Amino acid sequence: MTPVFDIILYISLLIHVILMGIALRHLWGGENVVDRLIGFDLLGTLTLAVLVLVSLIYRQSVYIDVALALAVLSFVGSVALAKYLADDKMF
Amino acid sequence: MDSDILQYLAAAAVAVGTFFSLVGVLGFIRLPDVYTRLHATGKVGVFGVVFLLIAAVIHTPLGWGKGLFLVFFLLVTGAVTAHALASAAYHLGLPMKGEMEGDRDVDPAGPEVSAAVDPPPYNREP
Repeated sequence: MTPVFDIILYISLLIHVILMGIALRHLWGGENVVDRLIGFDLLGTLTLAVLVLVSLIYRQSVYIDVALALAVLSFVGSVALAKYLADDKMF
Repeated sequence: MDSDILQYLAAAAVAVGTFFSLVGVLGFIRLPDVYTRLHATGKVGVFGVVFLLIAAVIHTPLGWGKGLFLVFFLLVTGAVTAHALASAAYHLGLPMKGEMEGDRDVDPAGPEVSAAVDPPPYNREP
């Protein structure tokens, strides 16, 4: 069971890294500014998923702390940029 | 035996989370509109990462508190981020696919301008 589970984890990690490449491509050349901002948010979420998968592969819970900090920073960045786009001021 | 069952559960959770991430990014590529693309990418944050976190809580030596707090945080911030991005797109006046006359009840410049251009019937001069 354990090698099968490791194979599932590595396949999932590969899929998530490919999806991160797709999100980075949309962040680089999206249609409009909100599209690129969605790409930025999606890139942060997929980085979160990759960190959780690394925590599953190495059986360590340290990476969950990194994922928590990254979730907070990605949330604040996305909301601040969206509010700046909508209102032309940050606060 | 017990840990075998937990490992099966963790493997199923990882498979389901990967499926939801794949479907969300597929929708992000294929859908025609900013708002529908936002609808698709919400699935990655809410379902994909949450199922992976359930697998991590089952399988790694992690306290339940930290993982479940991260699940709760993702469920809240996914909704807030999607609302902020959709509101920004609506205020910028980005096009919707299949938009018809009168779909926007507010002009991009603000509700005051719209009220000045077309006053409501109870406020109109006879």
